Amino acid sequence: MPGPFDKPEGNWWDEPVNRREGMWLGIAGVWSLAIFGWMSGFTRFGDQNPVGETYEVDPSEYRETVQAYIDEADENEEGHIIPPGDSVYIGAFRFNWDGLPVVLEAGQEYDIHLGAYDVQHGFSIRPEHSLSQQINLQILPDTEWVIPMSFDDPGTYHVICNEFCGQGHNSMHGTLYVEEP
Amino acid sequence: MVATLSQLFDNDYDEEGFRTCSVTGLEIHRTAENHVKLFGLTAVVAMVVGGIFAITVAMTRWELIGLIGEANYYRHLSMHAWNLLIFWLVFMEIAILYVGGPMVLGRRLPLTKVAKAGWVTMVAGALGINYFIWTASGAEVAPLLTAYVPLNIPTGFFASAIVFLVGATIAAVPFLATIWKEKRWGTDDTLPLVTFGAFITSIIAVQAILGGIAAFSYGLVWKVGIIETINSGAYRTLFWTIGHGSQQINLLAMITVWYFLTHVVGGAVVVSEKVSRSAFILYLFFINLGAAHHLMADPALGVGWKLFNTSYAFYGAAFASMIHAFAIPAGLEAGRRQRGLGGGLFGWLTSAPWRNPVFSATIFSIILFGFVGGITGVLMGQLQLNITWHNTFATVGHFHATVAVGTTLAFMGLVFFVIQTMFRRDFVSGTLASLVPYFYAGAMGIATLAMIYLGILYGVPRRTSSVVRNIPGADFSISAAAPLMSLFGVFAVLAILAGVLFLLVALGSLLFGARLERGDDAGLRPDGGLTPDGGKPVHAVDMRGTFAMCLIFMATFVVLYVLNWFLLVQLWSIGA
Ligand code: HEM
Ligand SMILES: [Cu+2]
Repeated sequence: MPGPFDKPEGNWWDEPVNRREGMWLGIAGVWSLAIFGWMSGFTRFGDQNPVGETYEVDPSEYRETVQAYIDEADENEEGHIIPPGDSVYIGAFRFNWDGLPVVLEAGQEYDIHLGAYDVQHGFSIRPEHSLSQQINLQILPDTEWVIPMSFDDPGTYHVICNEFCGQGHNSMHGTLYVEEP
Repeated sequence: MVATLSQLFDNDYDEEGFRTCSVTGLEIHRTAENHVKLFGLTAVVAMVVGGIFAITVAMTRWELIGLIGEANYYRHLSMHAWNLLIFWLVFMEIAILYVGGPMVLGRRLPLTKVAKAGWVTMVAGALGINYFIWTASGAEVAPLLTAYVPLNIPTGFFASAIVFLVGATIAAVPFLATIWKEKRWGTDDTLPLVTFGAFITSIIAVQAILGGIAAFSYGLVWKVGIIETINSGAYRTLFWTIGHGSQQINLLAMITVWYFLTHVVGGAVVVSEKVSRSAFILYLFFINLGAAHHLMADPALGVGWKLFNTSYAFYGAAFASMIHAFAIPAGLEAGRRQRGLGGGLFGWLTSAPWRNPVFSATIFSIILFGFVGGITGVLMGQLQLNITWHNTFATVGHFHATVAVGTTLAFMGLVFFVIQTMFRRDFVSGTLASLVPYFYAGAMGIATLAMIYLGILYGVPRRTSSVVRNIPGADFSISAAAPLMSLFGVFAVLAILAGVLFLLVALGSLLFGARLERGDDAGLRPDGGLTPDGGKPVHAVDMRGTFAMCLIFMATFVVLYVLNWFLLVQLWSIGA
């Protein structure tokens, strides 16, 4: 019987394959295609896809855009931003979030614009009442990413930076308040 | 000191410098053996350094202990990552190339000067990387593993990383020359499976290294001011050709070691040359696409690109891994059944040499790599599931299951094997040596699962020194995760102790172990020799034990897949 040190002899390509090994190849092959199919299909029929428009931007340009948005927005009595329309701008910079805290309405769809002014950051968000409902998106300083989101449940949503961005990274926290309409 | 060292590099060779290995029966030349030892020992030194930083990193993440503050945390984490993931594993992999090439083929190692030059260059690069990580200060920050621009990373770091990669390429040349000679002057024979695996590993390594040199050069020319701006998305794409490419090298080298060790200490055979080799070929074509799964939550890339690449082209490479997942245990099952060792469904496995640490390390590596590392890798590599894993502690759990449990355990087994068969030393304590794989696999396995749950169920992020007990300046912290974090902490301590035990046994045996006389196989040889003679042809041997295990694996995979998707669809609606 051949070992893995031996040079296989004769016509090894035509040696038969064990019946169960053949069955396993079939199972593994079908599963591989199935999970590809599901992932690909979900981009069409699913509700959770990290997909949105992207634009190349200069970090300082993005900063100006966010500033203009903040100037236009209202504030509630606690000083939290109330977006003027459906667009919500968030600018990550060492070590804080421009545009947060913001107050949103549950059930309404917003275009969340993500970008950074200096280095890469991570947008990691979860509601305080259910920590396992969390998602994480990468933020790059040269790209503006517009991801639509609508929050079903009212509550306080916490944003943590989860990409290393320098000394002080672990203090980078922000808040979204999702309120009953 | 010099006497002990020179003794370590000596054996009973004949006039031509060859000897016959009493365990594997291979004809081994002094040149090949000594270079395997050189690279292997260097790898173990890197493991010591990286391991020290495992202590400070893990004991900081366990915030109850909070060993070091944020100020030094990133520096320590960078040291941990580079010394373990890169230096421990890559030095081992060069040694594996020299085993898989010249040793298995019974040749001398050609171009030994080139091999030594490769070693010197790699060591120079590694020292440079350690130096620049350790001394980063002022406006400059430690790189972590990834050196994500435009962070201000020390210029010398990029330069040293390039030096290290060039060194690894130089060190691979004597291996490639061996294969070339074999094909040129040897007969027309097919390469043995282990050599074939090592060869595919080396091709994938070269692709990864070229990508790495491109990435770090891009960083370097930007740092020294030749180009003014650097595109962070483009850097990420380039970086992951090496960042993940090096993981593919680890994977292929590890699988090659699995075939090697299950054979030499368990008596495994090759159940189908065609199937196993085809799986390696699938890797060759598709596995490097997998680098894309680091970029699933990135803005700058299109959906079609993401779907195609993250799935290694319709899961071509995941399929290949599932092929090996059958072929390797089946080799063991067939080889042992042919010898009449153990009947029933799993008798061949339960009767195996479980006290031999080389064997147990290999089997735990296979099982934990597959069940934990492999499944989580496919899960987090799915475009949508990735947003629940990306940059969380669960990611750290995934890659500790692959590299810190899977690859590291296989390589620990290999180090033990090399100590007995090449350094010809017996273990200082057979009992402690037997204990190492159980202890390390158990502790690190649980620590890894804890990391995965901390990330998925609590959203604990990676790469931060405090978030569970305190987020500085915020009135929020992930305090609900504290109990699980303590569980992680305790098992991390145990895993580190198991690592220390491994090092004590390995280094203690090298220095104080009894010398094994010529012909003494230290009890390593499998019962009934390496390969059984005669009997049924291998494809006709019963493989139902392996089939049953693979079905259990598939059931686990399906359940975890469904659970992860279930968690995902609980979320608010995201994306266009
Ligand atoms: C007892 C053993 C080990 C323990 C307790 C341990 C613990 C940890 C922890 C807690 C982190 C996460 C830190 C963070 O993200 O904040 C980490 C990161 C890491 N570890 Fe380990 N580890 C061990 C062994 C290993 C081994 C053997 C390898 C490689 C072969 C390895 C490779 C890495 C890498 C690549 C990172 C990521 C660094 C980065 O984010 O840039 N670890 N380790
Ligand atoms: Cu940040």
